[in-house]
Amino acid sequence: MLTLAMYFNHPIFLVTILFLLILVNISHDRGKDLRKWLPTLSIMSTLIILINPFLVSRGTTILFYFRGKQVTLEAFMYGITMALFIAIILVVFISFNLILNGNRFLYIFSKILPRIALMIMMAIRLVPLMKRRLDEIGDVQRLRGMSMTVGDFKTRVRNGMLRVQILLTWSLEEAIHVTNSMKARGYGTEGKKSSYTPYFMDKRDWVWLFVLAGLMMLCFYGGRLGYGKMIIYPELGPWQFFWIDWIVFCSMFIITSFPLFIEGREKIRWKLSI
Amino acid sequence: MANARASLIIVTITVFVLLIVMYTVFNYHNYLLLSLGIIGCVMMLFFIRFEMKSIKTREIVILALLIAIAAVARVPFAGLPSVQPTSFVIITVGLVFGAESGFLVGALAAIVSNMFLGQGPWTPWQMFAWGTMGMSAGLLRQFLGMGKLWILNSFGFIWGFIFGWMMNLWIVFSNMHNFTWEFLVGIYVSSFYHDLAHAISNVIFISLFSVSWIRILNRFKKKHGLLEDSTLKPSIAYDHSGK
Repeated sequence: MLTLAMYFNHPIFLVTILFLLILVNISHDRGKDLRKWLPTLSIMSTLIILINPFLVSRGTTILFYFRGKQVTLEAFMYGITMALFIAIILVVFISFNLILNGNRFLYIFSKILPRIALMIMMAIRLVPLMKRRLDEIGDVQRLRGMSMTVGDFKTRVRNGMLRVQILLTWSLEEAIHVTNSMKARGYGTEGKKSSYTPYFMDKRDWVWLFVLAGLMMLCFYGGRLGYGKMIIYPELGPWQFFWIDWIVFCSMFIITSFPLFIEGREKIRWKLSI
Repeated sequence: MANARASLIIVTITVFVLLIVMYTVFNYHNYLLLSLGIIGCVMMLFFIRFEMKSIKTREIVILALLIAIAAVARVPFAGLPSVQPTSFVIITVGLVFGAESGFLVGALAAIVSNMFLGQGPWTPWQMFAWGTMGMSAGLLRQFLGMGKLWILNSFGFIWGFIFGWMMNLWIVFSNMHNFTWEFLVGIYVSSFYHDLAHAISNVIFISLFSVSWIRILNRFKKKHGLLEDSTLKPSIAYDHSGK
């Protein structure tokens, strides 16, 4: 999807992708995470749309002059596609953060980089613990009169870092206990260990992967021939779609909304079976 | 297992070469994708080296702990804008535990802290910038009398800027079609105050806490025999620092 968005720059394509991705996102968690990002997203997009025409004066269709610099329709359009593009990237990453939970992350990376994956998982698990400890240390330090909120800049920085230092000395010793307990459970010993993975590829999954890959190829081929793209510089191209544009558009539509189809079908089945 | 690793190296190098071929031969210039691919390949080599090395279990756990601390160290400073000690933690780790550990802690701390703050196309850049920060600290510890506080301070100060410049690159690359020199200069000028704050906070942290942190980590390293570099001679400068 990301590559698709990078590939096409026709505004209609981009708007459709963005819309579908937002729907996909809503199907994950009813748009809870999306709402948190919405202010950043909208501010960024508006800024790009507004700033681009004033910074870049390429293009031939001049709208008006601003302090002697020409403000062109082309640069304006480019700003819009750019903003859409960045919005798409952000929405994809929000979905990505939601989908890729710890188990799946470890499953994907433990095949290629087992040690790195283990270290990342361990660190992710340690972060909430460290936060809790920092709170505890902070409580004690406050009782001793070492605050982060009052005082001049230097003492505040010193007090803050002192907390982190206390956390370091506290936790380092415990890492050795963790190691011992890992060793007792047989980590790092020679010989194979089996593990249960709840994810596997079905025959159905392969078929769908194949179909999606085919549609993807179609999109790329169409894109190479210049369909689904709009000429912006030096002069704004025409808006209309040719019939091959429609084919490319449809295959893109199917790829992007594929998660929606699956989720929707499950929902319908769930409702009907009761 | 060793076979799989070797093939992984070959795959990484092939992808790297293919990326360059794609750039030069075909007229398809997607700079963001290209830059991310190249960064990924470069970092992959470091990760593979770590995977192939024989390493103690406790060293893995210690590194994971240091990553978590580097990521969480931002929390108490949430009230002070653009002051974050993550860079300081990474530099210290590089100084005490060597270049490779510095790189790992830097790169992985970026992933881990972004797990909580939100991943994005900037993650690989952040990984690379912090990773090289830790690595350079580890590489330079033998030379230049890095035991002296003022040299360490200037090291941290310079890195505050280099980090910001590296992070600016992702904005530049994602806007490559739009590229003008004014645009580039504009981005670097607008990030100046942020970089300066980063550099100054590095200096403050290093001058206030580097001695005690290096002492703590060195003591721990000696006590448990962690991450000794057999190829490099142990850094004498830090063995008695702070006494």
